Amino acid sequence: MQGWVTLALLLSLGVKRSLAQNGLGEPRGLTLNPDLPAQTLSLAWQSDSTLFDLEIFHTEFMNVVLNATVEVQADPVTGLHSWTWHSPLPLECTSHSVRIRARNQQSVSQWSPLQTIPGWDIPEKSYMFPEDKMIPVGSNMTFCCIVNEKEDFKEIKYGRQEMKATRLSRRSYAITVTNQPASDNTGTNVICSSQKFQMLTGTVVFVGYPPGDEGLVCETRDLASAECSWKKGRDTHLRIKQSLTNYTLNGRDCLEANERKTWCSSKMWEENWTLEARNPLGTVQLTDSAQLTDRVHLLAPVNVAAVKVEAWSATLQWSWSVAAYKKLEMVCQLRLFAHELSSTRNYDGPGLSSVVLEGLWPDVDYTVTLRCGSKHSFWKWGDESAPYRIHTKMDRPDALDVWMWMDSSNTGHVFWKPLSVRKSHGALNGYEVSQSSAEEDGRNTVSLPPGNFSYPILLNNSSDVTVAVAARNPAGLSQPSTVTTPAYRADSQLSVSELLGTNGSFVLSWEPNVSASSGYVVEWFPTGCTGLCPIDWKKLPESDRSFTVNSVYTTTACSLCAPLLISDSLVAGVRYTVSVYSLYTSAPTLLQRWQGYSQEMIPSQSVSELSLNQTGSDVLLSWKATEMKQQRGFIRGYTIYLASAAHLDLIANITDPAVQSYRVKGLTLSSYKFVVKAYTSAGEDAGATVAIKMEMDTADMLFVGILVPLGIMFCCIILFSIFFYKKREWVKKAFYPEIPGPKVSGDWSSPRGPLDVKPSPHSLVHIVKNPEWDFTKEGLFPVPEEEEESENDNMEVDTDSDEPALLRYYNQVVGDGSHSNQVSDSSASSTASMGSTQTEITYAGIQSPSSSQGAYSGGGYRPQMQSVTGPAEPQIEFEADFQDDGLNAGYKPQCSWQLDSPEAENFSGSLGSPTSVTSSQFLIPESSEEKPQPSNTWFHNFLSGKS
Amino acid sequence: MAGRSANGRHGLRGHAGRTAALARLLHKDCIQLLELYRNSESLPSSPVDGDYLVSIPPLVPQLSDEEKISILHAALKECLRLLEDVITREDAEFSDEDSEYKRKRKTVRDRLGHLLASTEQLLVDGQKFEAKVKEELDGQAASGSFGLKMWIVRVLQDLVHWTGQTSDTLHSMPAEMEKAPKTMSRRTRRGAGKIRK
Repeated sequence: MQGWVTLALLLSLGVKRSLAQNGLGEPRGLTLNPDLPAQTLSLAWQSDSTLFDLEIFHTEFMNVVLNATVEVQADPVTGLHSWTWHSPLPLECTSHSVRIRARNQQSVSQWSPLQTIPGWDIPEKSYMFPEDKMIPVGSNMTFCCIVNEKEDFKEIKYGRQEMKATRLSRRSYAITVTNQPASDNTGTNVICSSQKFQMLTGTVVFVGYPPGDEGLVCETRDLASAECSWKKGRDTHLRIKQSLTNYTLNGRDCLEANERKTWCSSKMWEENWTLEARNPLGTVQLTDSAQLTDRVHLLAPVNVAAVKVEAWSATLQWSWSVAAYKKLEMVCQLRLFAHELSSTRNYDGPGLSSVVLEGLWPDVDYTVTLRCGSKHSFWKWGDESAPYRIHTKMDRPDALDVWMWMDSSNTGHVFWKPLSVRKSHGALNGYEVSQSSAEEDGRNTVSLPPGNFSYPILLNNSSDVTVAVAARNPAGLSQPSTVTTPAYRADSQLSVSELLGTNGSFVLSWEPNVSASSGYVVEWFPTGCTGLCPIDWKKLPESDRSFTVNSVYTTTACSLCAPLLISDSLVAGVRYTVSVYSLYTSAPTLLQRWQGYSQEMIPSQSVSELSLNQTGSDVLLSWKATEMKQQRGFIRGYTIYLASAAHLDLIANITDPAVQSYRVKGLTLSSYKFVVKAYTSAGEDAGATVAIKMEMDTADMLFVGILVPLGIMFCCIILFSIFFYKKREWVKKAFYPEIPGPKVSGDWSSPRGPLDVKPSPHSLVHIVKNPEWDFTKEGLFPVPEEEEESENDNMEVDTDSDEPALLRYYNQVVGDGSHSNQVSDSSASSTASMGSTQTEITYAGIQSPSSSQGAYSGGGYRPQMQSVTGPAEPQIEFEADFQDDGLNAGYKPQCSWQLDSPEAENFSGSLGSPTSVTSSQFLIPESSEEKPQPSNTWFHNFLSGKS
Repeated sequence: MAGRSANGRHGLRGHAGRTAALARLLHKDCIQLLELYRNSESLPSSPVDGDYLVSIPPLVPQLSDEEKISILHAALKECLRLLEDVITREDAEFSDEDSEYKRKRKTVRDRLGHLLASTEQLLVDGQKFEAKVKEELDGQAASGSFGLKMWIVRVLQDLVHWTGQTSDTLHSMPAEMEKAPKTMSRRTRRGAGKIRK
């Protein structure tokens, strides 16, 4: 056992000896000196070596935060090795331990004993680090939260953003924020919360920029001191007072400068200037260099006043608040404002303090401002003086622009244009008009109030009259303007040319006139105007040969004109008469005259008195042109339209405006509407409308209305006559078949006994004459061939039947009408006899309702239903009755007839009686001569070929 | 109205009503002010840990309404002082840029002054109470800008609390309270004697 211990000691001594043999001694006296705000840890130790291994731990968890080999020379004075470590983490966050060893290539010494600086996670309180740190935008930073013993850590928020935390020790947690954005006004809050409290603790970080000021400029205001200004640069985002930017100018604090005031003053001018702007995040230096005379910025002149004011000039004086200015060569700028117009004038001189303002206008309000600058090495204009008001005196008005316009050979008006403010030189009191002629001595002077701009002239004789007009204001009378009456020339006496407007103006040119020694006058006024017309004119020098009359000129020249006298502009759609006169010593001479529109428009009114006149199938349209005032342009022609419901059809375009009628030819009988439109170069007017309904002539009406229908009617009659004549046999058969007369034989009388004829109170003849069964009304209807043949067949059968059979038939009816076979016979017989009146009468008499009812009470045979040869109306009646009867449908052929007959009741009462039988026998004619004659006998004869 | 004011009782009731309305309005202003501050500072909406800065004797039921008003008046007085400290400190520390928070802060200060003046007329003659402030600004601000902000929050929380207390007390005052003689009962006076100065 003792042997093993001895071996271990020997080995240990051997190792120590090997280290000692390397010559690397363990660093001694390691001390730690933390700088908490700077987050730095300074290490100092003693050693003979220069190369060292360093290890720094977070003490509690012994996490290595630094493991580096550094070369550190010893301080020659103290012999200490010093090295500083910048911790990314605030040193308060947790305890840090450091150890060090010397190194010589691969040989190392032993580690020095651990030296520890305690963190703030030892006391029982909550903290957060770092506090109130100011860092540049974009920086990275680690924050730590130390929770107290009784709290459970929950989270750390950077502003509103929750961050991921790492644990440094039992109670310390850290977050690292990268690329931090600029803070708000009061910094960015970093808040640590526990499970219990949302705000356990926290800290504030101020993220911003270093100063960004730029553009330092220094100048002098009093030729001695300096004022330096600069422009504020980028916002630093540092709002707390201790982080605000501080300024120094040439090393002197500039206390007046702050975030808003960016200027600084110095009592003495220095040629070189340096401004230093500093905040916790950085410093910026701005420099400027200049001579004093190059940076003179004068103050504003004071006590500006006008010492002498005339009509056309004024003398302005001022003083300076800085005495040094009196020797300064300066330039001053006056700005004059009058009638919203401004002008500038520059004056220069040493210590300038007064100027004479020339070229002013009389009776005008001027406002003057003044500013000055150094003439040599001009830097900038100085401050501007307060506005000063000057009102110039009045002066005599300028001469008037006068013109005389003759509206007849002996009457006219002298016109003058109102004077503008610039020319009146003061408010006018009135005008003086004096008139003189060569034949009369003296002048006749009239004073007119200022509102007048014309005066009537009356010529009593043939001599020219010269009129002089002068304006008067408080300063005096203007030079008189004279004009001599021009000779009156009516338009009819001249060849008035048509003048076309161009872009709203007239462009005139004329041949030069040698007599126009005083130039020319261009005069224009609305054509047709009389009396006080809006005359306008322009006097031109003799060198001019052309002139443009336009609205711009007129508007400018007459901005103050009276509306009655001078046109405000060339009005579109108004015809103007434009004349050019030559001027010389005597009366003006008319050279040329035009009429025209500055801008043509469509006529404002349509043609008047539009009328039309029909001649046969032609229509003559005629109209009158609208008055000149409504033409609003030269009438170039007329267009004539035929109006329909939806559109207008052009039927003529009359290009000659003198033609004011048009004939529309070949119209048919109908209604027409014509539209006539006048047109100018601007287009057509709305158009005048006239309508007509074409009517026939009297002869045509007679022919068409009477003769033609008559002719057609006669033709029809003839054709019908021929037709019926040719077909008379057929017609006769169809409508008037031969009815055999009854043949009375000896057996005709009833074998059963004498007939006791006792006529019914109602004659059967009377019944037969029922209008509904009048043959003349019912007989003429077309009969189909088949029916005709069938009837003929029946008739033949009937005709061929034996007369006794016929008689028997009657007797049987009267005597024994209830037998069905007899009914059948009677049916056949009645069918065969339907075509004649006699047969009809007979049939009516035979068909007694009582017998029929007796025969059909059981709903048996219905012979009438099959009959198709009977007249239409009875058949319809029958069918209706049959249908009405419905299921009990017994045959009641006479029912309707009975109803139709007013005496049916009485008559039915006699049926079946001997009287009835007797009445039947009455119907049988004894001879053909005794047959009743129908009313259409002539037609029957006609069809029969009888005359 | 003139007749009512002449007898004194109705006039006092009207004044108490106006004071109560003012207290309610101020209470709402204080809530808004605290909310504005929390929003501008991105602070959580939960209250800051700790008791109220201003402390007063407990408003036990044995106290008369006048005494309660007197005690609350003392608390509001301390609140106004704290608010003015806040304003001074904020303006000193941070830039004086205009903001809605600062406008509301001025409104609260002005109305709190009006409320104090108004409640003073309701106090019992000769009765003076004082409230205590547990933590002053200096101690809090030592922990940096965040400590200052937390202290501002606590002042604003106190404002909300004490204006609310005052508003509730004024609105709960019975009408006959104003008819009662403006003297304290002996019992009440004894109970309040500890805090009277």
